[in-house]
Amino acid sequence: MIKLVGYEAINWLLVILGEVLVAIGVFCDLMGALGMLRFPNFFVRLHAATVGTIGGAVVPILGAALIAAGCDFLGYYRWFMAGAALVTAVLILIIAPAGSHVLARATHKSKTVPVEPKVVDMLEEEESKGGG
Amino acid sequence: MSLEAHVTTFLACIIPIYVVAFLIYVVRVVKGPSISDRVLAVDALSFDLAAFLVILGILFRTAILVPIAIVLALWVYALDVYVAKYLEAREMGD
Repeated sequence: MIKLVGYEAINWLLVILGEVLVAIGVFCDLMGALGMLRFPNFFVRLHAATVGTIGGAVVPILGAALIAAGCDFLGYYRWFMAGAALVTAVLILIIAPAGSHVLARATHKSKTVPVEPKVVDMLEEEESKGGG
Repeated sequence: MSLEAHVTTFLACIIPIYVVAFLIYVVRVVKGPSISDRVLAVDALSFDLAAFLVILGILFRTAILVPIAIVLALWVYALDVYVAKYLEAREMGD
């Protein structure tokens, strides 16, 4: 009986922790979407994209992994779901910054969007001086 | 309140907020003045869709939705790299 109570308590702890992470992630996701809509140009919107991907995707996936690990009504496959969700979170943590950096670099080099609020742009000076 | 009812209620309350965020991202995808804005919005939209798939997998008690999120994330990274390559070199590469 004592052992059963401890098992239930661990499940509840995992689920509550996961729900806190999912709630933080949903808030970040909504803020990232609003920023993506309201910010003035591409290089400013990169900030909203970071809030929307790292805060809005990685954090809720980690929380969903904790929830899946704590829900024993999902059956045996809950360990598969928790592990796959963890792999997805780490993968997005690696490839989302890589993707947005690649896109920002290409946009800057091809001059598709002007760099609007800027103080100094060393990369552009270097390209115009050294010929690319 | 049992654990199952608690988790189901919480995730069902989360779903509409995600849908609202998706709609706002779609507005930016349609409106985006340049190709970079659209690709960035599709990028954020798809990573959030991956998180949404994991949550739907818990809500529907289906384990098969989670590996699809991995595939979605990898394809969106491929889209980023392709568009960046096109913008920089004006060709898709061989």
